[in-house]
Amino acid sequence: MEITFWSALRGSQQVVDAFNSSQNRIRVVFQQIPSGGQGGYAKLSNAARAGNAPDVATIEYPQVPGYAIDGVARDITDLVTDRLKQKLLPQALKLTTFDDRVFSVPLDVEPMVLHYRADLFQANGFEIPATWDEFAALARTVRSRFPDKRLTLFPTDGGTQFACHAWQAGARWFDTSGGKWRVSLADEPTRKVAAYWQGLIDEDLVFRNAGDSKQHDAQIGQDRVITRLSGAWDAGAQMRARPAQKGKWRIAPVPVWDEQVVGTHGGSTFAVTKDSRQPEAAMEFIEWQCTHPDALTARLKSGTSSQYPVAPGLVEAGAKAFPGEYYGGQDIYRLFQQEADKIRDGWVWGPRMTATLKVMQDGFAKAGAGAGTVIDAVREAQSGTMPDLKALGLSTEEGAR
Amino acid sequence: MKGKLACAVLMAPFFLLLVTVFLIPTGTAMWLSFFAADQPGLGFGPESTVFVGLRSYGAVLSDPTFLNSMFTVVLYCLLYIPLMVAGALTLALLLDSGVAKLRGWMQMGLYLPHAVPGIIAALIWLYLYTPGLSPIIDLFAKADVRISFLGIDTVLPSIVNIALWSNLGYNMVIFYAALQAVPREVLEASVVDGAGPVKQALRIKAPLVRGAIVTVGIFTLIWALQLFTEPMLLSQSTPMISARFSPSMYIFDAAFTRNNYGLAAAASVILLAFTVALSYGVTRWTNRKAG
Repeated sequence: MEITFWSALRGSQQVVDAFNSSQNRIRVVFQQIPSGGQGGYAKLSNAARAGNAPDVATIEYPQVPGYAIDGVARDITDLVTDRLKQKLLPQALKLTTFDDRVFSVPLDVEPMVLHYRADLFQANGFEIPATWDEFAALARTVRSRFPDKRLTLFPTDGGTQFACHAWQAGARWFDTSGGKWRVSLADEPTRKVAAYWQGLIDEDLVFRNAGDSKQHDAQIGQDRVITRLSGAWDAGAQMRARPAQKGKWRIAPVPVWDEQVVGTHGGSTFAVTKDSRQPEAAMEFIEWQCTHPDALTARLKSGTSSQYPVAPGLVEAGAKAFPGEYYGGQDIYRLFQQEADKIRDGWVWGPRMTATLKVMQDGFAKAGAGAGTVIDAVREAQSGTMPDLKALGLSTEEGAR
Repeated sequence: MKGKLACAVLMAPFFLLLVTVFLIPTGTAMWLSFFAADQPGLGFGPESTVFVGLRSYGAVLSDPTFLNSMFTVVLYCLLYIPLMVAGALTLALLLDSGVAKLRGWMQMGLYLPHAVPGIIAALIWLYLYTPGLSPIIDLFAKADVRISFLGIDTVLPSIVNIALWSNLGYNMVIFYAALQAVPREVLEASVVDGAGPVKQALRIKAPLVRGAIVTVGIFTLIWALQLFTEPMLLSQSTPMISARFSPSMYIFDAAFTRNNYGLAAAASVILLAFTVALSYGVTRWTNRKAG
């Protein structure tokens, strides 16, 4: 039996090879596709429209509801066994469950962490900031001591990063509990987070350019930005992108407001598509990928991934397989585990998240250039999303704005 | 009888194309804008295609990002069309006046950019506009002038510049051809009456090629309202061009990023109606002035 699998995740080929050699009933044919924003999602949508989507597709958390509504991701509630459910972190599975139906199986869950330059922190006697107030104070110190350096970047293309900050502060951009999509992007916690970053921007304490850019590569490569706020996965991406900085980075918990909670940044899920003719086989492969230690080991051995598995039972295998020299032997998986337990409950992604975040980022880019503010961008994202949802025929309601 | 047959044969290709590349797509867009595959409530149930009336139109017209794109394209027209018409007419008058030496070479040089496909033109200019790549920006930097072609206020003029570069020569040729048809005796009479070259150009020649000016104006307007290629390409290089920068980009984004065909179809019909209404208005207005 043959099934097809599309993914942009690094190390997928190694995982597929391991699966294919572990048994001889199901043969997975893997195709590496571009990441979602680079055309991967367009490719999946077009294939689904033409009726030849792969059996198994990789979808990031924010895009799951959209693909579920469009009927691309199959309702797999009946295929998710209790055995599988028990192996997964419930807060991750909740993010792929809508209307009591499961639409995809999470692979990794990525609490936001603080990646920092341990060498520069030590040389200058900087303390790791535990709260956002301490973070802002440190940003001031860094700028006054090193006019060409900044503590961090406010990524103008970082809609998901901003969402994660809002999530941590207790925002609920989308709420489905009333049987309709209640949209409140500019709720009170989000306004607090927006004001915080606006302050850092106004005081010129952070860089403000695209994160996915040559400019930011240079900022990191030339030691001009000394912390990165991103998901656990970014530890692996950093290793691959900048081997020369080996040993200089360490990872700490992300700063908090007052409660000890965090949001997530990144993470992927696997969906069985509507076009699959072997959903059971597809599900078997997904279950193996998400819960078998050999799958995680194969991925991490590729040396480019540091995903934090959604199955707590795999953490030990992850800690063992992750090549730790880059982080000076720090037990980053223990840290990720401790942070994953702090993920705040109640977040729901919206039905057209790619577009919503894009409008927000257009506003961020303007705010970064001094025209408009962070909260303006959030409000524009809301007003640019509502017509979309209405035209899709969804029941909607506008909350705080 | 034979005449009618010949007429039908000769007209058939036109009507065939009109039906297949205009009427059918337009009809499909209209249909798509009135129907949608709906699921009730949160949207996770089974879909069914239903008549939704003006719902998609209401959504487009209440979308501030669409209204912004319309505003942008109107601003673009206000910048581009006068510059284009005035520029092309001036060049044509200069060529016609005999001031210009090497007329043939001048004409070819000005017309050549039009032979470059729009997407290639945008790529060339993208290279010239991108900091770090552009020799022009480097040159200005050497003179201590910091210049950004893709900044928040400069990006629209930068697009106008690409369009001018591409189309100026073409429209100049149209004006030049019209000027060739101006009767020589009228020009001679004006010289006898004491008109210098400037007065002759502005008072005699320009009014006599009015028809050509109106035609060029309307074609340029229709073309400009569909603004797509240049900003789409430049958006790769600057966040100041959003995915919904112009109405055509909004339609593309609605269809292919948001997978929202009803919305895309309704926006297309609105843009079509706007274009038709505006061209009709301009034609009426110029005809009345003529009459």
